[in-house]
Amino acid sequence: MRAQGLLSEPGAVQPADHVCWTYEDVDSFAPVARQFLAGGLARGERLLCVGDDVVDRIRRGVEPLADVDALLDRGALELLPLGDAYDSTAGFAPEQQLTFYEAATRRARADGHRGIRVVADVTALAADPGRRADLLRWEHLADDFMASGSGMSAMCAYRSSVLDAGVVVDAASVHPVVHAPGGAPPFRVFFDDGRVAVAGEVDAVGAARLRRVLATSCADRSAVTLDLSRVEFVDVAGCRLVAEWARGLRDRSAEPRLTGTSPLFRRMWRLLRFDELTGVSPEGRHA
Amino acid sequence: MTAHLLEAAPVGGFSHEVVFYRDEDDFLARVLPFVREGLEGDEEVVVAEPEPRLDLLRDALADDARAVTLLDMADIGANPARIIAVWEAAVDEHIGAGRGLRGVGEPAYVGRSDVELAECQLHEVLLNPAFSSGPGWRLLCPYDEQLPPAVRAGALTSHPVRLTPTGGLSSDAHDPAAHVGAFAALLPAPPGTALRSRYRDGDVPAVRRAVAGFATGCGLSRERMEDLELAASELATNSIRHGGGSGSLVMWAEPGAAVVEFTDGGRVADPLTGRRRPSLDQIGGRGLYLVNQLTDLVQLRSGPDGTTVRLTTWR
Repeated sequence: MRAQGLLSEPGAVQPADHVCWTYEDVDSFAPVARQFLAGGLARGERLLCVGDDVVDRIRRGVEPLADVDALLDRGALELLPLGDAYDSTAGFAPEQQLTFYEAATRRARADGHRGIRVVADVTALAADPGRRADLLRWEHLADDFMASGSGMSAMCAYRSSVLDAGVVVDAASVHPVVHAPGGAPPFRVFFDDGRVAVAGEVDAVGAARLRRVLATSCADRSAVTLDLSRVEFVDVAGCRLVAEWARGLRDRSAEPRLTGTSPLFRRMWRLLRFDELTGVSPEGRHA
Repeated sequence: MTAHLLEAAPVGGFSHEVVFYRDEDDFLARVLPFVREGLEGDEEVVVAEPEPRLDLLRDALADDARAVTLLDMADIGANPARIIAVWEAAVDEHIGAGRGLRGVGEPAYVGRSDVELAECQLHEVLLNPAFSSGPGWRLLCPYDEQLPPAVRAGALTSHPVRLTPTGGLSSDAHDPAAHVGAFAALLPAPPGTALRSRYRDGDVPAVRRAVAGFATGCGLSRERMEDLELAASELATNSIRHGGGSGSLVMWAEPGAAVVEFTDGGRVADPLTGRRRPSLDQIGGRGLYLVNQLTDLVQLRSGPDGTTVRLTTWR
């Protein structure tokens, strides 16, 4: 099972981590980025830092990443200004991003690293309304890639002081591990053990957001499992969107499965006649 | 009270009939012929009675009991706001399959509390608008003569027809618009010691926590607490989305019950909201229906001055 939850400190880093870290100013974020990267270095991973301000701070060579020049020289660290990573004229294509990171991870492993550890400050992308939907789709695609045992892990940084609160919550919602002291997302969606997992509370307010996330998820798979074992609360609107998701997949001849549902969820599903509507019987929480 | 003999048995539409009985023998003498007549006419017969009368009918029907659907009213009608959906399902299933249908339903029986009997009366008046425009069927509602006079008088208001040994009499006391006033009537005020708070957009999670904490403090089991938490979330969301954007939460304990009430400035136009079975055609608007299914007793009232939903959970 992947690490998931709400974080207050960067803490111990693990393979397949996908952390959303929100911060107020870059000077407070730089030590967190260094600690996250240093954890990867200790594990023998290649490090990649994407961004503008954060790249400047890493370049200064502060402990625990003091010897930046040596790391750069031996190819253990790469610093990538945001403009180089995301071409501002060509738009932002999640599939292209995936190709880039797949190649980078493959290269790192071929060069003898255990994988690749990325810190990416994507505040500028999130601030651009035209790119926001694609950014969310990319985050979700990337999470699938990280969960699959590819060897990639990442910390995605969002500067909350310059972004709308809703944008930050949207972004945090597609990470298994979240540090967002100013406003933790009510639920998170991530990949785990081949399933799409939902953790937290899904009510009428969050239902539209979950609908958007699920719409970007697994559109090309024939069997999709939604794991609800970490859901603490779901209301009628949340249950309804799961039913619509399931019905949408059935209409495309896919086979949706619902696992880890609570007794109350199953009662609600039956009372609202969603079993008849979707042909799907939710499964319970097995040991 | 005057009554007129009907010219003929009701034809076509829904016929909502009351019959009064003195004791168990009298109950059987009045209800059994109604059931047998249905069976002889090859109608589907659905009986919703509390014990011991459910058993009494089963024994009296002997082998014919197998041909009758017997439901425990104490179960399906514990919250009277759930009963109309049960009859709707029977209408859909049997009349939809081309058969005739007759029902026996006794929601208001001796032993129920005043607050339950009040909801039974509202349920009875709402049966008329619920089925008046649909296919024809007969529903006979037995009332015990030992029920309080106000309950028996209410039965004559809510039922257009009173069944007597000689046939159906139309009741002068029947008020076809009774549901309008009953749905808008005020509930008795909460006690002065009740906990009161206001909620608005963004407060629904806090309402859930407050209700869950109150339910736990009242000694409700985890399962009942979670039912109430879900119901609270639906009702607070309704206030914010459809009830003027905000509402009041009032909570208090009564002997044997935890009570949670939601009030807002909106108006529920259709008094049958939450009582009808969810259709498979449209997927929206099922919050109040679920609240009715999850809660021991739901009292919904709505009028020009706003909407109140009072949830009672027995301890």
